[in-house]
Amino acid sequence: MATSSMQQPLPLQAELVRRARQRRFWHVVRYLFLVGSGLMFAFPLFWTVSSSLQTWQELRSFEPHLLPSVPQWTNYSDVFAAVPYARWLGNSFLIVAITIPGTILTATFTAYAFARFDFYGRDLWFILMLSTMMIPRVVTFIPQYLLFFKIGLINTYIPLTIGAWLGGGAFMIFLLRQFIMSIPRDLDEAAHMDGASPFRILFSIITPLMKPALTTVAILTFLGDWNDFFGPFIYLNKPVLFTAAVGLRTFQYIPLETTDPRDHLLMAAAAIMTIPMIVLFIGAQRYFISGVVLTGLKI
Amino acid sequence: MATATQSPAPVPARQRMSRRVLHQNLYGYLFLAPWLLGFFGLFLGPGLWSLFLSLTEYDVLSPPKFTGLDNYIRMFTDDDLFWPSLGRTFYYALLSVPTGVLGSLLLAVLLNAALRGIAVFRTLFFVPSLVPLIASVILWKWLLNGDFGIVNQGLRALGLDPPIWFGDRRWAIPSLISMNLWQSMGGVRMIIFLAGLQGIPDSLYEAASIDGANSWQRLRNVTLPLLTPTIFFNTVLGVIGALQIFDAAFVATEGGPGFATWFYGLHIWKHAFDYWNMGYGASLAWFFAVIIVVLTILQIRTSDRWVFYYGA
Repeated sequence: MATSSMQQPLPLQAELVRRARQRRFWHVVRYLFLVGSGLMFAFPLFWTVSSSLQTWQELRSFEPHLLPSVPQWTNYSDVFAAVPYARWLGNSFLIVAITIPGTILTATFTAYAFARFDFYGRDLWFILMLSTMMIPRVVTFIPQYLLFFKIGLINTYIPLTIGAWLGGGAFMIFLLRQFIMSIPRDLDEAAHMDGASPFRILFSIITPLMKPALTTVAILTFLGDWNDFFGPFIYLNKPVLFTAAVGLRTFQYIPLETTDPRDHLLMAAAAIMTIPMIVLFIGAQRYFISGVVLTGLKI
Repeated sequence: MATATQSPAPVPARQRMSRRVLHQNLYGYLFLAPWLLGFFGLFLGPGLWSLFLSLTEYDVLSPPKFTGLDNYIRMFTDDDLFWPSLGRTFYYALLSVPTGVLGSLLLAVLLNAALRGIAVFRTLFFVPSLVPLIASVILWKWLLNGDFGIVNQGLRALGLDPPIWFGDRRWAIPSLISMNLWQSMGGVRMIIFLAGLQGIPDSLYEAASIDGANSWQRLRNVTLPLLTPTIFFNTVLGVIGALQIFDAAFVATEGGPGFATWFYGLHIWKHAFDYWNMGYGASLAWFFAVIIVVLTILQIRTSDRWVFYYGA
C-alpha cells in the first residue's frame, strides 16, 4: 500500500492523507489552546499552594516569591493551633453529610413524580418549580431568617440543611427529571405489569440507572454547601459552630497580640479544605458529564 | 394504558380509567410531597410574608407597623444608594455574563474531543471553582495588587501605567469580574456545555463531513445551532446569578472603594441584616425579584428568534 501510494496516489488515498494531516494539525492547535488555558487556570492554584508554604514576610515583600525559599510546613499545623480548624472542617462535613442524602432522596422523589406520573396539575407545579430558580435568594431569605429566628433555630444547622430534605432545590430536581425522562418507559411499564409498586420500580429499576445523574447531584450539593458563604455567615454567629468556608474569614483579621498578617495561614487552611473536593471531583468525573442530560429541555 | 388493554378480566372502561387516574394522582402527589412542603414552607409562605413585610416598618423586636407604600416611595425617591447600586449590578451582569458564557463555551469546545490527557485538562479547568471564595479573593488581591502584584509588575515591564484594580473605583468591578471568570468559567457551566456538546448526534457531524464541511463549518453549522438551547439555558441562569452577586463583593471589597462595588445584594443585606430594617429590606428584595422575573420572561419570549430545538 505504501509503495502504490508513492508511485501514483489514488484520489481517495490522497484525500485520506490530506484529512489525516488536517486532523493532526487541529489536534496540535487544540493542545496548544488547552495547555495555554490550562496554565492560566493552574497558575493561581499553584500560587495558593506555594503561598501556603511561605512566611508572611515573603508574601508581603515587593518581589513576589514564586516558590518559598524554605517551605514552611509548620504553616499547616499552625492553622490548627490558631483557630479550631478541625472543628470547622468537621462542621462542614456534618452539613454535607446531612444535605447530600437529603437532596439525593427528595430530589429523586420529586423528579420521579414529574417524570413518570400523570397527576392533576402536574404541568403547573412543574412551571412553579422551575420559576423558583428565577426568584433571587434574598427575597425568601429575609422571611426565612425571621421564621428560624422566631422558633429559635439560629446557631443550629437546621436552616442550612432543611431545604435539602424538602426537594433539594429546583436545579437538582430539574437535572434528575431530565435524566429519568431519558430512561425508556418500557422498563417500568413491564415491572408495573409484574405487580411492582412505584417505590419498588423507583428503587430497583430507575435508581440503578441513574448513577451518573445522582453522582452529579451529590457533587453539586457537596460543592454548594461546602463552599457556601452567605448561609452560614447569616445563620451562625458562634465561632465554634462555623463552617470552614466562613471560618477562613478569621484569618483576614490581624490578631491584636502579634500584629502579624496571617495570609499564609489562610492559604494553608484554604488548601486543606479544597483537597477533599478535588479528590471527590477526580474520583467522580467520569460520571459527572454523562449525568447532565438536557436533551428535550425547552424553556 | 398498556396495562389496561392487556388485563384479562373485562372491567368497565370508566372504572379502569378512574383506578388509573387515582393511582397516578396518589403516587404523583406522594412523591411530590417533600418538595410541596418545601415550596409552601420555605418559598411561597416566606415570599408572601415578605411581600406583606415590604409594606411595613419592622425591626424584629416590635411587631410590624403597616406603612403602606412608604418603603417603595422611599426607595425610588429618598435612597441615594438605590439607583446607583441597581445600575452597578446591571453593569456587572452585562460585562460578566457574556464573557462568562462565551468563555465556558470555548473551554467546553476545546475539551470536547477524545484526546489523550483530556481528563487532566478538564480537572484543571474545574478546580478553580472548588477553591473557597475567601481564598480566591486573597489570591486575586495579590495578583492584582497595585504595588507588588504580579499583573502590575508585568504591565509595568511593558511600559504601561496600570491601575490599582480593586482599589480603583473604575477598575474594582472589572477586577471582581476577572476573579469571577477564573473561578466560574471552567465550573458547572462548562460541564453543562460539555454535556450539551456530547448530546449532539454523531450522525449529524458525519452527514456534514460527507457534504464536505470542514471543522469550522461543522462548528458553525452543526454544533452552534444545536447548542443554542444550552447557551440559552446557561445565559438565563447566568443573568439570574450575576444580578444576585453578593459574596464576592462582600468578601473582596465590602462594597468599596467609595461604594464602587456596592451592588444591590449588598444594599438589601445592609438594610435587612445590619440595620435590622426588615420591612425596607423586604421591599428592596421584592422590587428586585420583579425585575429579575420580567427580565427572564423577556429572555424566554425572545428566545424563539435564535434558539433552535432539534427534532422539536
